[in-house]
Amino acid sequence: MKLLHLYHDIMNLYGDYANVSALKRILEQSGEDVIVDKLSFGDIADLSQYDFIFVGSGTENNQKLVLNDFKKYRDSLKAYIESGKCALFTGNSFEMLGKTITDADGKSFDGLGFFGFTVKEQNKTRMTSDVIYEADFLKTPLVGFVNKCGEIEGNSALMFSVKLGLADCENSQGEGVRSNNLFGTHLTGPALMKNPHFLEYVAELILGRKPETAYLVHEKAGYEITLTELTKRMNES
Amino acid sequence: MKVFFTILVCKILRFIGKLAGKGSSLPGQIALKLCPDILSRVKLPEYIIAVTGSNGKTSTVEMIAHILMNNGKKVAWNKEGSNQIEGVTTLVLNSATLTGKVKSDILLIESDERFAKYTFKYILPTHYVITNLYRDQLTRNGHPEWVYNAIKDSIHDGTQLILNADDPLVSCFGWGKKDVIWFGADKLSSDTDELVSVYNDGAYCPVCKAPMEYSTHHYNHIGHYSCTKCGYKRQDTKYTITSVDLDKGVMEIDGKYEISLALKSLYNIYNILSAYTVASIVGISGEKIAADMNNYVLKNGRVITFKLGSREGTMLTSKHENSISYDQSIRVASAFSEGCDVMFIVDAVSRKYFTSDVSWLWDIDFEMLNNPNIHQIVLAGKYVNDLAVRFSYTDIPSNKIKLYESIDEAVDYLNSDRKEYIYVITCFSDKGKFLGKVNGD
Repeated sequence: MKLLHLYHDIMNLYGDYANVSALKRILEQSGEDVIVDKLSFGDIADLSQYDFIFVGSGTENNQKLVLNDFKKYRDSLKAYIESGKCALFTGNSFEMLGKTITDADGKSFDGLGFFGFTVKEQNKTRMTSDVIYEADFLKTPLVGFVNKCGEIEGNSALMFSVKLGLADCENSQGEGVRSNNLFGTHLTGPALMKNPHFLEYVAELILGRKPETAYLVHEKAGYEITLTELTKRMNES
Repeated sequence: MKVFFTILVCKILRFIGKLAGKGSSLPGQIALKLCPDILSRVKLPEYIIAVTGSNGKTSTVEMIAHILMNNGKKVAWNKEGSNQIEGVTTLVLNSATLTGKVKSDILLIESDERFAKYTFKYILPTHYVITNLYRDQLTRNGHPEWVYNAIKDSIHDGTQLILNADDPLVSCFGWGKKDVIWFGADKLSSDTDELVSVYNDGAYCPVCKAPMEYSTHHYNHIGHYSCTKCGYKRQDTKYTITSVDLDKGVMEIDGKYEISLALKSLYNIYNILSAYTVASIVGISGEKIAADMNNYVLKNGRVITFKLGSREGTMLTSKHENSISYDQSIRVASAFSEGCDVMFIVDAVSRKYFTSDVSWLWDIDFEMLNNPNIHQIVLAGKYVNDLAVRFSYTDIPSNKIKLYESIDEAVDYLNSDRKEYIYVITCFSDKGKFLGKVNGD
């Protein structure tokens, strides 16, 4: 199997690379040979040859730079998603899939337009929080952290309902996007590592069968502790 | 009259606060309410030296104060480490006469990198040292470019910038400016040609975003860099670490001053260099500075030696959510050639705010511990499972690693007849949980 980590050296602000490490391991544990390609600016990837594509979080400046380069994949990524293959975008990388991103100076950047949402950034305060998100395709919620400076409006392809922490924008209870097996969320960092059930779900989509999960002992224990801590937090507030 | 009254109130509150063991921000906070522009209404000394950056502020400021005071200067400085505007206000007013004149030769301010822009609206530093910009408490501070923008707003005309030439993002503050004072290190024996780090924050030029090249790496993305496109590059330094031998624990500054190191870390040599730079500018001779820094042991509690039963060890206080701080501590332990055990504790991620985020563990280069100098690794605290998962993605043999959710049990385990030295690597938020069980110095 082939995994693609796109913009690995510039969109990797919160240990995001570990999502690829986690997926590589679960596929290997399930008996597959796995190759990971790390590509960045200027490289040209043939997306159709991959079984999974990942892009992580970056600074606001770097996201705009990447967006400019990323547009060359518009058609091939569309075909990839329509074929039902898996991709994960964490942090502000998934914002590139929307209609527009407007930066703090009011300059607008066109996204790939796969989704109808728009993003508006500001440069005064970081919007950060621990989060608990529920998804209808997972039995237990996701835990993690969000660290952003933009509000996302007009998102009609919501993936999560927010139980604790930041949503797309102030008036929303939802977060992230899903289209076929493309997942986009503002969860930063190693969301698959931190949420072994989400990892299992994605791996099963890629494999077309149940993956091996017996080794995920500390992953599961770590998830339970964080969920307990965050639930305590939620009930206190 | 307002100035008199405000200073009086601040002094009284600080006096009472000290008796009650309270922190130093509240008196300043109240003073700012009484007289919002109080800082611009006091008479400040000739030297106003500010220090900011992600790491090493507190240690650098302590060293500067030590050198200056040892050489007969009167220094007002925020040794309690309250480094936002309220703490700085307390410092200034508490060092002032009731008529509003600061009674010191030098006002030395450690400033929080995000709040410097508010503080320096009222107090214009004569000298401004910026040490480094790293991924530091991203959950609270934002990423380095975000912090860069915040610091940028705190730099005003009339301030002499003193910058770390080896940090590509910090050096941007002085790019294109003529009168910057640069400090940094020559190519050192401990340098590497290739990057040693999990991630590369020096991959792209901070000015034009083209790829950057390094002729040498001191650690992580700190080193000698140049942009492949726009000409941005490391600047020549006026104050320079000319050599270092971390095994022997000796550094040399400007080719002539040898300083023995109480803590054999690259961090420490940069802190000493920053202090050397500032003290030189104030007019202290190189000989005197070197003598004052020789074997200098920090008093800020960041490095603590301890005894546990028959065993000895050192706690290297590192910052959770700050991978370079951890990398530095790991380097110190990995270089311990007599062989050591290392303990990591992640129990409360922060003492100041709640977060359960452990993504920063993935930015730490634990692989450096895969080294014969490291005998056993003990992982402890509430987030021991996350540590265990992180270590399972290194090549360190699992039989070297012990896991304890309970810190007490981990300490009991270490309290054995093993002979190895112990390094404990953890944060302010968790260090008391260990130090309460051992005999510290």
